Amino acid sequence: ICLWCFVRPSASGQGQSTAVCSPSCSCDEDGGADCSGRGLTSVPTGLSTFTYYLDLSMNNITELPAYVFKNFPYLEELRLAGNDLTFIHPDALSGLHQLKVLMLQNNQLKSVPSTALKNLHSLQSLRLDANHITTVPDESFEGLQQLRHLWLDDNHLTEVPVTSLRHQSNLQALTLALNRILYIPDNAFRNLTSLVVLHLHNNQIKEIGANCFAGLVNLETLDLNFNNLKEFPKAIQALPKLKELGFHSNDIAAIPEGAFHNNPMLRTIHLYDNPLSFVGASAFQNLSDLHSLMLRGASLMKDFPILTLTNNLESLTLSGTKISSIPTNLCEDLRLLQTLDLSYNEVTELPSFQGCGRLQEISFQHNHIQEVDRDTFQGLSVLRLLDLSRNKIRVIHKDAFLTLTGLTNLDLSMNALSMIPTTGLSSLSQLKLSGNPQMKNVLPAKNLPKLRSISVPYAYQCCAFIGCESAMRSSEETDRKKSTGAEAGEQVSMIMHCSPSPGAFKPCEHLLGNWM
Amino acid sequence: QHKPISGGSSGCQQGGCLTCSDYNGCLSCKPRLFMHLERIGMKQIGVCMTSCPPGFYGTRSPERNTCTKCRSECDSCFNKNFCTRCRSGFYLHLGKCLDSCPVGMVHSNAQRECV
Repeated sequence: ICLWCFVRPSASGQGQSTAVCSPSCSCDEDGGADCSGRGLTSVPTGLSTFTYYLDLSMNNITELPAYVFKNFPYLEELRLAGNDLTFIHPDALSGLHQLKVLMLQNNQLKSVPSTALKNLHSLQSLRLDANHITTVPDESFEGLQQLRHLWLDDNHLTEVPVTSLRHQSNLQALTLALNRILYIPDNAFRNLTSLVVLHLHNNQIKEIGANCFAGLVNLETLDLNFNNLKEFPKAIQALPKLKELGFHSNDIAAIPEGAFHNNPMLRTIHLYDNPLSFVGASAFQNLSDLHSLMLRGASLMKDFPILTLTNNLESLTLSGTKISSIPTNLCEDLRLLQTLDLSYNEVTELPSFQGCGRLQEISFQHNHIQEVDRDTFQGLSVLRLLDLSRNKIRVIHKDAFLTLTGLTNLDLSMNALSMIPTTGLSSLSQLKLSGNPQMKNVLPAKNLPKLRSISVPYAYQCCAFIGCESAMRSSEETDRKKSTGAEAGEQVSMIMHCSPSPGAFKPCEHLLGNWM
Repeated sequence: QHKPISGGSSGCQQGGCLTCSDYNGCLSCKPRLFMHLERIGMKQIGVCMTSCPPGFYGTRSPERNTCTKCRSECDSCFNKNFCTRCRSGFYLHLGKCLDSCPVGMVHSNAQRECV
């Protein structure tokens, strides 16, 4: 073993003083040299041989001649980004036996400088992103047995560099994003058994082989967003450790039954902005690490997804489908649910949400619900927001809101209500009731002490809240209230906003309802 | 890490800006550079870079390239879930910064890695 190769005299150690520096750079005591952004056209001379970090980025070095770094045997990090580099001599990087990080991004390279890279046996991170690379020679990374992180994003690749990657069993993170890749062949990443992260977003991938991800036994993150996939990527079945999957912004119309049955460790699935029309009911079963599921616009979906053992879900959005019923045992599986958005479906009946004690937001806007039972929302003491607008609700049980002591926003607008229970709504600050033409009675303001904004079907109903003429009434009216024992707490609080506000043409007296 | 602009106005001395202001530095970057907001006291200064500073990772997209903070235990990372170097006291294993290494591995303080 070559001992001196491993010894890098520290700044305060023996050997040549590290105070040596080039006039074009600033050097620190530890062997770091920053020569970035100095308008240099070549590698400066006069730097210490013990330099271990050399930043030459953002200069005008367009070519690297042979042996240009031969005086830096201890170099571990070399930054050459942003230099308009077009040519790297095959021997330019020779001698850099301890180099771990090489940054060549933001240059003008048209091909991977494979010969120059050949002997960088310690290299771990290689950045080639933001060049103009169209070809990756088969032997490009052959000598790089320690390579772990490879950036090839933002180039002009039209295919996955399969052959050049075939020996990279130590590679852990790879990005091929922002290229022009059209297709992923079977076994494209066959030997990348250590790969944990694979980014393929912003390509033009239309199709992928059924076994294209074979071999990626440790892959945790797969990003296929912003491509042209027409079919659900079934090849993910080869990824037992997948945690984060993204295929949003594609052209996928259906998610099949059992879509993720081989990916039990999934935590996040990004699938929005796809023309989804069908989702298999069993697609999201047994995903005990899934925290959030968002499905919009699966217009042909009729069955509520089976979510058995997907029991750590905190947020469920399922809107724009033909789902008409919800499992009555929904809360047996979803005890940790905090946000439930089932708007824009065809639900006719609400189950009891009693077991979902952590629910904070519920939206059933734009469904076909006709009534709210006593038990529907029992026990939801941390519920803050309830949107039942745009349904056909005629009846709400008088105790339906009894336990909703944390509710601040309630939207019952655009229904068929004639009255609403207010017991339990002591924290309510916003109430929407407009669009309930049958509701002509005056609402009991005293049950809503914290109300700040209300919309009502008729202007005169605002008078109970904003005391329309009370501003003009004499003080006797105020004294009368005191004499009737209205405790201070119960005094009608001044509503900040009530609509439609009464006025000359919408007087407070009830004249056959709102005729204006 | 900036290429000086020749003849830029006083607030935009650093290179890489596409648009800039005296007070806030770069407002947008030249193509393929990463926009990073550096905090200097109460002010935020836009800086355009070829790679994000330590503790941040770059995300490229057709519209813009941004720098995002790594997880707290990472000194540098490939994305928000994959560290490439750990903070002191943590040890790297398959992109994770662990405070102790898996069975069968030992930690190297110099490399801050499980080996």
